Amino acid sequence: MKKKADIRKIEPYLYITPITLILVTFVVGSVLISIFLGFCKYNIITPPQFRGLGNYIKLLDDSKFIKALWNTIKLELYIVPLQMVSGLLMAVFLLANRKHLLGKIANCVIFIPFLCSNAVVGVVWRELLNGKFPPVEAFFGLFGIQPSMLLGDSKSALVVVAGVAIWRWMGYYTVIFLSGLMAISKTYYEAAKVDGAGKIRSFFSITLPMMKPTIIMALFLSITTALRNFELIFNLTGGGPNNATTDLVMYAYTLCFKSNSAGYAMAVSNVLFVLVMIAALFQKRLLKRESSEL
Amino acid sequence: MRIMKKAFGRGLADLILIGIILGSIFPFLYMFLMSFRSTINAYDFSFSLDKFTLQQYIKIFQMDYFVNYVLNSVIVAVAGVLLTLTVCSLAGYAFAKMNFKGNDKLFLFLFLTLIVPSEVIIVPLFLITKGLGWLNTYQALILPLPTAFGVFIMRQAILDIPSDLMDAAKLDGCGNLQTLVRVVLPIVRGALLTLAIFTFVGAWNNFLWPLVACTRQEMKTLPLALSAMKTQYNTDVGLTMACAVINFLPPFLFYLFMQSKFKEGMTLGGVKE
Repeated sequence: MKKKADIRKIEPYLYITPITLILVTFVVGSVLISIFLGFCKYNIITPPQFRGLGNYIKLLDDSKFIKALWNTIKLELYIVPLQMVSGLLMAVFLLANRKHLLGKIANCVIFIPFLCSNAVVGVVWRELLNGKFPPVEAFFGLFGIQPSMLLGDSKSALVVVAGVAIWRWMGYYTVIFLSGLMAISKTYYEAAKVDGAGKIRSFFSITLPMMKPTIIMALFLSITTALRNFELIFNLTGGGPNNATTDLVMYAYTLCFKSNSAGYAMAVSNVLFVLVMIAALFQKRLLKRESSEL
Repeated sequence: MRIMKKAFGRGLADLILIGIILGSIFPFLYMFLMSFRSTINAYDFSFSLDKFTLQQYIKIFQMDYFVNYVLNSVIVAVAGVLLTLTVCSLAGYAFAKMNFKGNDKLFLFLFLTLIVPSEVIIVPLFLITKGLGWLNTYQALILPLPTAFGVFIMRQAILDIPSDLMDAAKLDGCGNLQTLVRVVLPIVRGALLTLAIFTFVGAWNNFLWPLVACTRQEMKTLPLALSAMKTQYNTDVGLTMACAVINFLPPFLFYLFMQSKFKEGMTLGGVKE
Protein backbone atom coordinates (compact mmCIF):
# COMPACT_ATOMS: atom_id res chain seq x y z
CA MET A 1 0.00 0.00 0.00
CA LYS A 2 2.73 2.41 0.96
CA LYS A 3 4.50 1.87 -2.31
CA LYS A 4 1.42 2.93 -4.21
CA ALA A 5 1.25 6.17 -2.23
CA ASP A 6 4.88 6.87 -3.09
CA ILE A 7 4.18 6.48 -6.77
CA ARG A 8 1.27 8.89 -6.42
CA LYS A 9 3.63 11.44 -4.95
CA ILE A 10 6.26 11.28 -7.64
CA GLU A 11 3.83 10.84 -10.52
CA PRO A 12 3.33 14.57 -11.26
CA TYR A 13 7.10 15.04 -11.37
CA LEU A 14 7.39 12.25 -13.91
CA TYR A 15 4.90 14.09 -16.11
CA ILE A 16 6.86 17.31 -16.12
CA THR A 17 10.30 15.69 -16.35
CA PRO A 18 10.57 15.41 -20.18
CA ILE A 19 9.88 19.06 -20.96
CA THR A 20 11.91 20.21 -17.95
CA LEU A 21 14.90 18.15 -19.12
CA ILE A 22 14.61 19.59 -22.63
CA LEU A 23 14.34 23.19 -21.48
CA VAL A 24 17.02 22.90 -18.80
CA THR A 25 19.49 21.26 -21.18
CA PHE A 26 18.94 23.46 -24.20
CA VAL A 27 17.76 26.81 -22.85
CA VAL A 28 18.96 27.15 -19.25
CA GLY A 29 22.17 25.30 -20.08
CA SER A 30 22.79 27.60 -23.04
CA VAL A 31 22.22 30.74 -21.00
CA LEU A 32 24.63 29.58 -18.27
CA ILE A 33 27.30 28.56 -20.80
CA SER A 34 26.85 31.85 -22.61
CA ILE A 35 27.29 33.87 -19.42
CA PHE A 36 30.37 31.87 -18.39
CA LEU A 37 32.12 31.67 -21.77
CA GLY A 38 31.38 35.35 -22.41
CA PHE A 39 34.18 35.94 -19.89
CA CYS A 40 36.56 33.60 -21.71
CA LYS A 41 38.74 33.44 -24.75
CA TYR A 42 37.46 30.34 -26.50
CA ASN A 43 37.94 29.04 -30.02
CA ILE A 44 36.10 25.67 -29.54
CA ILE A 45 39.27 23.65 -30.28
CA THR A 46 41.47 24.54 -27.28
CA PRO A 47 40.08 24.82 -23.70
CA PRO A 48 38.62 28.21 -22.71
CA GLN A 49 40.89 30.71 -20.96
CA PHE A 50 39.32 32.99 -18.40
CA ARG A 51 39.73 36.63 -19.37
CA GLY A 52 37.40 38.42 -16.96
CA LEU A 53 35.79 41.39 -18.63
CA GLY A 54 38.30 41.24 -21.49
CA ASN A 55 35.75 40.43 -24.18
CA TYR A 56 33.41 43.18 -23.08
CA ILE A 57 36.19 45.77 -22.97
CA LYS A 58 37.23 44.69 -26.46
CA LEU A 59 33.66 45.29 -27.66
CA LEU A 60 33.92 49.00 -26.90
CA ASP A 61 36.83 49.28 -29.31
CA ASP A 62 35.49 47.00 -32.00
CA SER A 63 34.28 49.09 -34.92
CA LYS A 64 32.47 46.08 -36.44
CA PHE A 65 30.56 45.54 -33.21
CA ILE A 66 29.61 49.22 -33.02
CA LYS A 67 28.42 49.02 -36.60
CA ALA A 68 26.39 45.85 -35.91
CA LEU A 69 24.85 47.44 -32.82
CA TRP A 70 24.02 50.57 -34.80
CA ASN A 71 22.49 48.47 -37.61
CA THR A 72 20.37 46.66 -35.03
CA ILE A 73 19.15 49.97 -33.62
CA LYS A 74 18.51 51.33 -37.12
CA LEU A 75 16.45 48.26 -37.99
CA GLU A 76 14.38 48.88 -34.85
CA LEU A 77 13.86 52.51 -35.81
CA TYR A 78 12.82 51.64 -39.37
CA ILE A 79 10.67 48.64 -38.54
CA VAL A 80 8.81 49.29 -35.27
CA PRO A 81 7.01 52.59 -36.00
CA LEU A 82 6.04 51.58 -39.55
CA GLN A 83 4.90 48.16 -38.43
CA MET A 84 2.66 49.66 -35.73
CA VAL A 85 1.09 52.36 -37.89
CA SER A 86 0.64 50.23 -41.00
CA GLY A 87 -0.70 47.26 -39.03
CA LEU A 88 -3.24 49.39 -37.19
CA LEU A 89 -4.40 51.21 -40.34
CA MET A 90 -4.61 47.93 -42.20
CA ALA A 91 -6.71 46.38 -39.43
CA VAL A 92 -9.10 49.35 -39.32
CA PHE A 93 -9.39 49.36 -43.10
CA LEU A 94 -9.96 45.61 -43.39
CA LEU A 95 -12.50 45.68 -40.58
CA ALA A 96 -14.47 48.36 -42.41
CA ASN A 97 -14.36 46.30 -45.63
CA ARG A 98 -14.80 42.84 -44.14
CA LYS A 99 -18.23 42.31 -45.71
CA HIS A 100 -17.00 42.88 -49.27
CA LEU A 101 -15.53 40.11 -51.38
CA LEU A 102 -12.28 41.98 -52.03
CA GLY A 103 -12.00 42.71 -48.31
CA LYS A 104 -12.35 39.01 -47.54
CA ILE A 105 -9.71 38.10 -50.09
CA ALA A 106 -7.34 40.76 -48.77
CA ASN A 107 -7.89 39.53 -45.22
CA CYS A 108 -6.94 36.04 -46.34
CA VAL A 109 -3.91 36.73 -48.53
CA ILE A 110 -2.28 39.33 -46.31
CA PHE A 111 -1.31 36.52 -43.94
CA ILE A 112 0.48 34.44 -46.61
CA PRO A 113 3.89 36.14 -46.35
CA PHE A 114 3.97 35.26 -42.66
CA LEU A 115 3.40 31.55 -43.33
CA CYS A 116 6.47 30.90 -45.34
CA SER A 117 10.00 30.60 -44.12
CA ASN A 118 12.43 33.49 -44.06
CA ALA A 119 14.49 31.52 -46.55
CA VAL A 120 11.64 31.66 -49.08
CA VAL A 121 10.93 35.33 -48.38
CA GLY A 122 14.60 36.28 -48.59
CA VAL A 123 15.43 34.31 -51.72
CA VAL A 124 12.26 35.27 -53.61
CA TRP A 125 12.63 38.98 -52.83
CA ARG A 126 16.29 38.91 -53.79
CA GLU A 127 15.46 37.30 -57.12
CA LEU A 128 12.51 39.60 -57.61
CA LEU A 129 14.63 42.71 -57.12
CA ASN A 130 17.56 41.41 -59.16
CA GLY A 131 15.56 39.56 -61.81
CA LYS A 132 14.99 42.41 -64.26
CA PHE A 133 11.29 41.50 -64.23
CA PRO A 134 9.53 44.21 -66.29
CA PRO A 135 6.63 44.96 -63.88
CA VAL A 136 9.08 45.27 -60.96
CA GLU A 137 11.41 47.49 -62.95
CA ALA A 138 8.46 49.64 -63.99
CA PHE A 139 7.13 49.92 -60.42
CA PHE A 140 10.46 51.01 -58.95
CA GLY A 141 11.03 53.16 -62.04
CA LEU A 142 8.11 55.32 -60.89
CA PHE A 143 10.33 56.40 -57.98
CA GLY A 144 13.44 56.67 -60.15
CA ILE A 145 14.98 53.56 -58.56
CA GLN A 146 16.67 50.66 -60.29
CA PRO A 147 15.65 47.62 -58.19
CA SER A 148 18.74 45.56 -58.96
CA MET A 149 20.90 48.26 -57.33
CA LEU A 150 19.01 48.22 -54.02
CA LEU A 151 20.60 45.23 -52.30
CA GLY A 152 24.10 45.92 -53.56
CA ASP A 153 24.24 49.48 -52.29
CA SER A 154 25.31 49.85 -48.68
CA LYS A 155 23.03 52.88 -48.30
CA SER A 156 19.82 51.16 -49.34
CA ALA A 157 20.38 47.50 -48.39
CA LEU A 158 19.37 47.92 -44.74
CA VAL A 159 16.23 49.80 -45.76
CA VAL A 160 15.31 46.93 -48.08
CA VAL A 161 15.83 44.42 -45.24
CA ALA A 162 13.52 46.52 -43.03
CA GLY A 163 10.97 46.82 -45.83
CA VAL A 164 10.87 43.07 -46.45
CA ALA A 165 10.56 42.43 -42.69
CA ILE A 166 7.62 44.84 -42.47
CA TRP A 167 6.02 43.19 -45.50
CA ARG A 168 6.42 39.71 -44.04
CA TRP A 169 4.96 40.59 -40.63
CA MET A 170 2.13 42.79 -41.91
CA GLY A 171 -0.50 40.03 -41.75
CA TYR A 172 0.59 39.03 -38.27
CA TYR A 173 0.12 42.49 -36.78
CA THR A 174 -3.09 42.97 -38.70
CA VAL A 175 -4.53 39.83 -37.09
CA ILE A 176 -3.47 40.99 -33.64
CA PHE A 177 -4.92 44.48 -34.11
CA LEU A 178 -8.08 43.07 -35.70
CA SER A 179 -8.77 40.90 -32.66
CA GLY A 180 -8.29 43.98 -30.46
CA LEU A 181 -10.63 46.06 -32.64
CA MET A 182 -13.35 43.42 -32.67
CA ALA A 183 -13.34 43.35 -28.86
CA ILE A 184 -14.43 47.01 -28.71
CA SER A 185 -18.16 47.17 -28.15
CA LYS A 186 -20.16 48.85 -30.95
CA THR A 187 -22.18 50.85 -28.42
CA TYR A 188 -19.26 53.23 -27.91
CA TYR A 189 -19.23 54.13 -31.58
CA GLU A 190 -23.00 54.48 -31.67
CA ALA A 191 -22.93 56.82 -28.67
CA ALA A 192 -20.19 58.87 -30.31
CA LYS A 193 -22.23 59.10 -33.50
CA VAL A 194 -25.21 60.42 -31.55
CA ASP A 195 -22.92 63.01 -30.05
CA GLY A 196 -21.95 64.04 -33.57
CA ALA A 197 -18.41 62.69 -33.64
CA GLY A 198 -16.98 61.86 -37.10
CA LYS A 199 -15.05 58.75 -38.01
CA ILE A 200 -11.64 60.29 -37.44
CA ARG A 201 -12.71 61.74 -34.10
CA SER A 202 -14.04 58.34 -32.95
CA PHE A 203 -10.77 56.71 -34.02
CA PHE A 204 -8.74 58.99 -31.79
CA SER A 205 -11.11 59.16 -28.83
CA ILE A 206 -12.50 55.60 -28.80
CA THR A 207 -10.40 53.20 -30.88
CA LEU A 208 -6.93 54.29 -29.79
CA PRO A 209 -7.62 54.46 -26.02
CA MET A 210 -9.49 51.16 -26.03
CA MET A 211 -6.70 49.52 -28.01
CA LYS A 212 -3.97 50.66 -25.63
CA PRO A 213 -3.25 47.23 -24.08
CA THR A 214 -3.17 45.59 -27.53
CA ILE A 215 -0.92 48.33 -28.87
CA ILE A 216 1.51 47.99 -25.95
CA MET A 217 1.68 44.24 -26.47
CA ALA A 218 2.17 44.56 -30.23
CA LEU A 219 4.78 47.27 -29.71
CA PHE A 220 6.98 45.03 -27.59
CA LEU A 221 6.47 42.07 -29.88
CA SER A 222 7.62 44.28 -32.70
CA ILE A 223 10.64 45.50 -30.73
CA THR A 224 11.79 41.98 -29.90
CA THR A 225 11.11 40.50 -33.33
CA ALA A 226 12.95 43.35 -35.05
CA LEU A 227 16.06 42.14 -33.19
CA ARG A 228 15.64 38.76 -34.83
CA ASN A 229 16.10 39.32 -38.55
CA PHE A 230 19.10 37.05 -39.00
CA GLU A 231 17.37 34.61 -41.36
CA LEU A 232 16.07 37.36 -43.63
CA ILE A 233 19.41 39.13 -43.70
CA PHE A 234 21.28 35.89 -44.37
CA ASN A 235 19.13 35.16 -47.40
CA LEU A 236 18.77 38.70 -48.74
CA THR A 237 22.27 40.07 -48.42
CA GLY A 238 24.38 37.69 -46.33
CA GLY A 239 25.19 40.67 -44.08
CA GLY A 240 26.79 42.69 -46.86
CA PRO A 241 27.61 44.79 -48.72
CA ASN A 242 30.58 45.69 -46.54
CA ASN A 243 28.70 44.69 -43.34
CA ALA A 244 26.01 47.26 -44.08
CA THR A 245 23.27 44.81 -43.06
CA THR A 246 25.16 42.88 -40.36
CA ASP A 247 23.19 43.07 -37.14
CA LEU A 248 24.25 41.69 -33.74
CA VAL A 249 23.02 38.13 -34.40
CA MET A 250 24.74 38.04 -37.78
CA TYR A 251 27.96 39.40 -36.24
CA ALA A 252 27.92 36.78 -33.47
CA TYR A 253 27.26 34.06 -36.05
CA THR A 254 30.16 35.21 -38.21
CA LEU A 255 32.49 35.45 -35.20
CA CYS A 256 31.74 31.92 -34.05
CA PHE A 257 31.39 30.03 -37.31
CA LYS A 258 33.68 31.96 -39.63
CA SER A 259 36.41 33.34 -37.34
CA ASN A 260 36.41 30.70 -34.56
CA SER A 261 35.92 33.27 -31.79
CA ALA A 262 33.15 31.51 -29.88
CA GLY A 263 33.85 33.24 -26.56
CA TYR A 264 33.79 36.68 -28.09
CA ALA A 265 30.67 35.75 -30.10
CA MET A 266 28.88 34.90 -26.86
CA ALA A 267 29.85 38.27 -25.38
CA VAL A 268 28.17 39.87 -28.41
CA SER A 269 25.02 37.72 -28.00
CA ASN A 270 24.93 38.56 -24.30
CA VAL A 271 24.71 42.25 -25.15
CA LEU A 272 21.69 41.42 -27.31
CA PHE A 273 20.23 39.33 -24.51
CA VAL A 274 20.51 42.25 -22.10
CA LEU A 275 18.65 44.44 -24.62
CA VAL A 276 15.88 41.81 -24.85
CA MET A 277 15.62 41.59 -21.06
CA ILE A 278 15.38 45.38 -20.73
CA ALA A 279 12.55 45.40 -23.28
CA ALA A 280 10.75 42.57 -21.46
CA LEU A 281 11.01 44.26 -18.05
CA PHE A 282 9.85 47.52 -19.52
CA GLN A 283 6.83 45.83 -21.08
CA LYS A 284 5.89 44.14 -17.80
CA ARG A 285 6.05 47.51 -16.05
CA LEU A 286 3.87 49.20 -18.64
CA LEU A 287 1.30 46.42 -18.70
CA LYS A 288 1.11 46.36 -14.91
CA ARG A 289 0.50 50.11 -14.82
CA GLU A 290 -2.08 49.70 -17.53
CA SER A 291 -4.06 47.07 -15.66
CA SER A 292 -3.92 48.98 -12.37
CA GLU A 293 -5.37 52.02 -14.12
CA LEU A 294 -8.38 50.09 -15.33
CA MET B 1 -24.27 64.07 -55.10
CA ARG B 2 -24.20 61.94 -52.01
CA ILE B 3 -24.59 58.76 -54.02
CA MET B 4 -21.72 59.76 -56.26
CA LYS B 5 -19.53 60.47 -53.28
CA LYS B 6 -20.39 57.08 -51.86
CA ALA B 7 -19.66 55.32 -55.14
CA PHE B 8 -16.36 57.13 -55.37
CA GLY B 9 -15.48 56.07 -51.84
CA ARG B 10 -16.34 52.45 -52.63
CA GLY B 11 -14.23 52.59 -55.79
CA LEU B 12 -11.27 54.02 -53.90
CA ALA B 13 -11.59 51.37 -51.18
CA ASP B 14 -11.70 48.62 -53.80
CA LEU B 15 -8.64 50.06 -55.47
CA ILE B 16 -6.74 50.04 -52.18
CA LEU B 17 -7.90 46.49 -51.49
CA ILE B 18 -6.62 45.35 -54.88
CA GLY B 19 -3.34 47.05 -54.07
CA ILE B 20 -3.13 45.18 -50.76
CA ILE B 21 -3.92 41.85 -52.42
CA LEU B 22 -1.36 42.35 -55.18
CA GLY B 23 1.25 43.58 -52.72
CA SER B 24 0.78 40.47 -50.58
CA ILE B 25 0.95 37.87 -53.31
CA PHE B 26 3.04 39.45 -56.03
CA PRO B 27 6.37 37.87 -54.97
CA PHE B 28 4.67 34.48 -54.81
CA LEU B 29 3.15 34.92 -58.26
CA TYR B 30 6.65 35.67 -59.51
CA MET B 31 7.94 32.58 -57.72
CA PHE B 32 5.34 30.30 -59.31
CA LEU B 33 5.70 31.89 -62.72
CA MET B 34 9.47 31.52 -62.80
CA SER B 35 9.36 27.95 -61.50
CA PHE B 36 7.37 26.87 -64.58
CA ARG B 37 9.88 28.25 -67.04
CA SER B 38 12.81 26.60 -68.62
CA THR B 39 16.21 28.07 -67.94
CA ILE B 40 16.59 29.12 -71.54
CA ASN B 41 13.63 31.44 -71.63
CA ALA B 42 13.72 32.44 -67.94
CA TYR B 43 14.31 36.07 -68.81
CA ASP B 44 11.98 36.14 -71.76
CA PHE B 45 8.92 37.58 -70.10
CA SER B 46 6.42 37.20 -72.89
CA PHE B 47 3.43 35.33 -71.54
CA SER B 48 2.42 32.27 -73.46
CA LEU B 49 1.23 28.99 -72.07
CA ASP B 50 3.31 26.78 -74.34
CA LYS B 51 6.48 28.03 -72.68
CA PHE B 52 5.33 26.63 -69.35
CA THR B 53 7.16 23.48 -68.39
CA LEU B 54 7.62 21.21 -65.42
CA GLN B 55 11.26 20.61 -66.29
CA GLN B 56 12.55 22.55 -63.27
CA TYR B 57 10.63 20.29 -60.91
CA ILE B 58 11.95 17.20 -62.64
CA LYS B 59 15.45 18.62 -62.57
CA ILE B 60 15.32 19.52 -58.90
CA PHE B 61 14.35 16.03 -57.80
CA GLN B 62 17.31 14.71 -59.77
CA MET B 63 19.63 17.03 -57.87
CA ASP B 64 21.99 15.27 -55.44
CA TYR B 65 20.47 14.84 -51.99
CA PHE B 66 17.24 16.65 -52.86
CA VAL B 67 15.13 13.69 -51.78
CA ASN B 68 17.11 13.72 -48.51
CA TYR B 69 16.26 17.39 -47.99
CA VAL B 70 12.55 16.73 -48.43
CA LEU B 71 12.58 13.66 -46.20
CA ASN B 72 14.61 15.44 -43.51
CA SER B 73 12.19 18.35 -43.46
CA VAL B 74 9.21 16.01 -43.19
CA ILE B 75 10.80 13.82 -40.50
CA VAL B 76 11.88 16.80 -38.38
CA ALA B 77 8.53 18.58 -38.63
CA VAL B 78 6.40 15.49 -37.95
CA ALA B 79 8.59 14.19 -35.13
CA GLY B 80 8.77 17.71 -33.69
CA VAL B 81 4.97 17.93 -33.62
CA LEU B 82 4.58 14.49 -31.99
CA LEU B 83 7.26 15.21 -29.39
CA THR B 84 5.84 18.65 -28.60
CA LEU B 85 2.28 17.37 -28.24
CA THR B 86 3.40 14.53 -25.98
CA VAL B 87 5.66 16.38 -23.56
CA CYS B 88 3.44 19.47 -23.46
CA SER B 89 0.22 17.53 -22.78
CA LEU B 90 1.91 15.55 -20.01
CA ALA B 91 3.30 18.65 -18.33
CA GLY B 92 0.21 20.74 -19.01
CA TYR B 93 -1.97 18.09 -17.37
CA ALA B 94 0.28 17.87 -14.32
CA PHE B 95 0.40 21.65 -13.90
CA ALA B 96 -3.35 22.03 -14.42
CA LYS B 97 -4.87 19.16 -12.46
CA MET B 98 -2.34 17.65 -10.07
CA ASN B 99 -1.42 18.94 -6.65
CA PHE B 100 2.25 18.68 -5.94
CA LYS B 101 4.86 20.69 -4.11
CA GLY B 102 6.32 23.50 -6.18
CA ASN B 103 3.65 23.35 -8.90
CA ASP B 104 3.42 27.13 -9.38
CA LYS B 105 7.11 27.77 -8.94
CA LEU B 106 8.19 25.11 -11.43
CA PHE B 107 5.68 26.39 -13.95
CA LEU B 108 6.96 29.93 -13.59
CA PHE B 109 10.53 28.68 -13.96
CA LEU B 110 9.69 26.92 -17.23
CA PHE B 111 7.68 29.90 -18.41
CA LEU B 112 10.64 32.22 -17.88
CA THR B 113 12.67 30.31 -20.47
CA LEU B 114 10.40 31.90 -23.08
CA ILE B 115 12.18 35.20 -22.57
CA VAL B 116 15.31 33.79 -24.22
CA PRO B 117 15.20 34.29 -28.01
CA SER B 118 16.64 31.33 -29.90
CA GLU B 119 19.01 33.59 -31.85
CA VAL B 120 20.73 34.69 -28.66
CA ILE B 121 21.71 31.16 -27.59
CA ILE B 122 22.70 29.77 -30.96
CA VAL B 123 26.42 29.53 -30.12
CA PRO B 124 26.08 27.77 -26.72
CA LEU B 125 23.36 25.52 -28.17
CA PHE B 126 25.84 24.51 -30.85
CA LEU B 127 28.46 23.79 -28.16
CA ILE B 128 26.02 21.65 -26.13
CA THR B 129 24.97 19.69 -29.19
CA LYS B 130 28.58 19.22 -30.21
CA GLY B 131 29.43 18.10 -26.67
CA LEU B 132 26.69 15.48 -26.82
CA GLY B 133 28.07 14.32 -30.18
CA TRP B 134 24.78 15.14 -31.85
CA LEU B 135 25.86 17.39 -34.72
CA ASN B 136 24.33 16.20 -37.99
CA THR B 137 21.70 14.05 -36.26
CA TYR B 138 17.93 14.13 -36.20
CA GLN B 139 17.77 14.45 -32.42
CA ALA B 140 19.73 17.70 -32.65
CA LEU B 141 17.05 19.12 -34.96
CA ILE B 142 14.04 17.68 -33.13
CA LEU B 143 14.71 17.75 -29.38
CA PRO B 144 15.07 21.54 -28.98
CA LEU B 145 11.70 22.14 -30.68
CA PRO B 146 9.25 21.96 -27.72
CA THR B 147 8.94 25.20 -25.77
CA ALA B 148 7.32 26.25 -22.52
CA PHE B 149 4.75 27.90 -24.71
CA GLY B 150 3.19 24.56 -25.57
CA VAL B 151 2.99 23.69 -21.87
CA PHE B 152 1.23 26.98 -21.27
CA ILE B 153 -1.32 26.33 -24.04
CA MET B 154 -2.09 22.83 -22.82
CA ARG B 155 -2.29 23.93 -19.18
CA GLN B 156 -4.77 26.68 -20.03
CA ALA B 157 -6.93 24.30 -22.07
CA ILE B 158 -6.93 21.57 -19.43
CA LEU B 159 -7.68 24.02 -16.59
CA ASP B 160 -11.05 24.70 -18.23
CA ILE B 161 -12.14 21.06 -17.99
CA PRO B 162 -14.39 20.44 -14.95
CA SER B 163 -12.64 18.18 -12.43
CA ASP B 164 -15.83 16.10 -12.06
CA LEU B 165 -15.16 14.53 -15.44
CA MET B 166 -11.75 13.33 -14.35
CA ASP B 167 -13.04 12.14 -11.00
CA ALA B 168 -15.66 10.09 -12.81
CA ALA B 169 -12.96 8.48 -14.94
CA LYS B 170 -10.95 7.70 -11.84
CA LEU B 171 -13.97 6.09 -10.16
CA ASP B 172 -14.15 3.84 -13.20
CA GLY B 173 -10.66 2.74 -12.36
CA CYS B 174 -8.62 4.84 -14.79
CA GLY B 175 -5.17 5.89 -13.67
CA ASN B 176 -3.89 9.39 -14.35
CA LEU B 177 -2.33 8.49 -17.64
CA GLN B 178 -5.47 6.72 -18.83
CA THR B 179 -7.60 9.67 -17.78
CA LEU B 180 -5.31 11.98 -19.73
CA VAL B 181 -5.44 9.91 -22.90
CA ARG B 182 -9.09 8.86 -22.80
CA VAL B 183 -10.85 11.84 -21.24
CA VAL B 184 -8.69 14.94 -21.30
CA LEU B 185 -7.00 14.85 -24.71
CA PRO B 186 -10.22 14.34 -26.72
CA ILE B 187 -11.72 17.38 -25.01
CA VAL B 188 -8.73 19.64 -25.70
CA ARG B 189 -8.23 18.53 -29.31
CA GLY B 190 -8.72 22.13 -30.47
CA ALA B 191 -5.74 23.26 -28.43
CA LEU B 192 -3.75 20.24 -29.63
CA LEU B 193 -4.45 21.15 -33.25
CA THR B 194 -3.48 24.77 -32.68
CA LEU B 195 -0.23 23.71 -31.02
CA ALA B 196 0.44 21.18 -33.80
CA ILE B 197 0.09 23.84 -36.50
CA PHE B 198 2.26 26.28 -34.58
CA THR B 199 4.98 23.65 -34.09
CA PHE B 200 4.81 22.23 -37.62
CA VAL B 201 5.23 25.59 -39.32
CA GLY B 202 7.98 26.59 -36.91
CA ALA B 203 9.89 23.36 -37.51
CA TRP B 204 9.31 23.35 -41.27
CA ASN B 205 10.50 26.94 -41.63
CA ASN B 206 13.33 26.68 -39.11
CA PHE B 207 16.53 27.99 -40.62
CA LEU B 208 19.22 29.25 -38.25
CA TRP B 209 19.41 26.16 -36.03
CA PRO B 210 19.64 23.59 -38.87
CA LEU B 211 22.18 25.88 -40.55
CA VAL B 212 24.39 25.59 -37.48
CA ALA B 213 23.64 22.01 -36.43
CA CYS B 214 23.87 20.32 -39.83
CA THR B 215 26.96 20.65 -41.94
CA ARG B 216 26.68 17.39 -43.88
CA GLN B 217 24.71 17.57 -47.12
CA GLU B 218 22.55 14.53 -46.42
CA MET B 219 21.29 16.02 -43.12
CA LYS B 220 20.25 19.41 -44.49
CA THR B 221 16.62 20.54 -44.64
CA LEU B 222 14.71 22.26 -47.44
CA PRO B 223 15.19 25.88 -46.33
CA LEU B 224 18.96 25.29 -46.17
CA ALA B 225 18.89 23.77 -49.65
CA LEU B 226 17.00 26.78 -50.96
CA SER B 227 19.42 29.19 -49.36
CA ALA B 228 22.45 27.32 -50.74
CA MET B 229 21.09 27.42 -54.29
CA LYS B 230 21.93 31.08 -54.71
CA THR B 231 25.62 30.33 -54.71
CA GLN B 232 25.66 26.89 -56.27
CA TYR B 233 23.23 27.40 -59.11
CA ASN B 234 23.46 31.11 -59.53
CA THR B 235 22.23 31.28 -63.07
CA ASP B 236 19.26 29.00 -62.69
CA VAL B 237 16.45 31.20 -61.38
CA GLY B 238 13.78 28.71 -62.43
CA LEU B 239 15.35 25.92 -60.40
CA THR B 240 15.71 28.14 -57.33
CA MET B 241 12.08 29.19 -57.59
CA ALA B 242 10.96 25.57 -57.95
CA CYS B 243 12.77 24.84 -54.69
CA ALA B 244 11.09 27.88 -53.11
CA VAL B 245 7.68 26.59 -54.22
CA ILE B 246 8.33 23.20 -52.58
CA ASN B 247 9.35 25.02 -49.39
CA PHE B 248 6.26 27.18 -49.56
CA LEU B 249 3.56 24.63 -50.35
CA PRO B 250 2.98 22.63 -47.12
CA PRO B 251 2.27 25.59 -44.79
CA PHE B 252 0.30 27.27 -47.58
CA LEU B 253 -1.92 24.24 -48.25
CA PHE B 254 -2.62 23.82 -44.53
CA TYR B 255 -3.54 27.49 -44.42
CA LEU B 256 -5.96 27.15 -47.33
CA PHE B 257 -7.82 24.34 -45.59
CA MET B 258 -7.97 25.67 -42.06
CA GLN B 259 -7.57 29.38 -42.23
CA SER B 260 -8.97 30.51 -38.89
CA LYS B 261 -7.31 27.73 -36.87
CA PHE B 262 -4.10 28.57 -38.64
CA LYS B 263 -4.22 32.26 -37.82
CA GLU B 264 -4.95 31.36 -34.22
CA GLY B 265 -2.01 28.98 -34.09
CA MET B 266 0.45 31.34 -35.71
CA THR B 267 -0.41 34.40 -33.67
CA LEU B 268 -0.45 32.50 -30.38
CA GLY B 269 2.89 33.91 -29.36
CA GLY B 270 1.36 37.35 -29.23
CA VAL B 271 -1.49 36.68 -26.89
CA LYS B 272 0.29 34.89 -24.11
CA GLU B 273 -0.66 37.07 -21.20
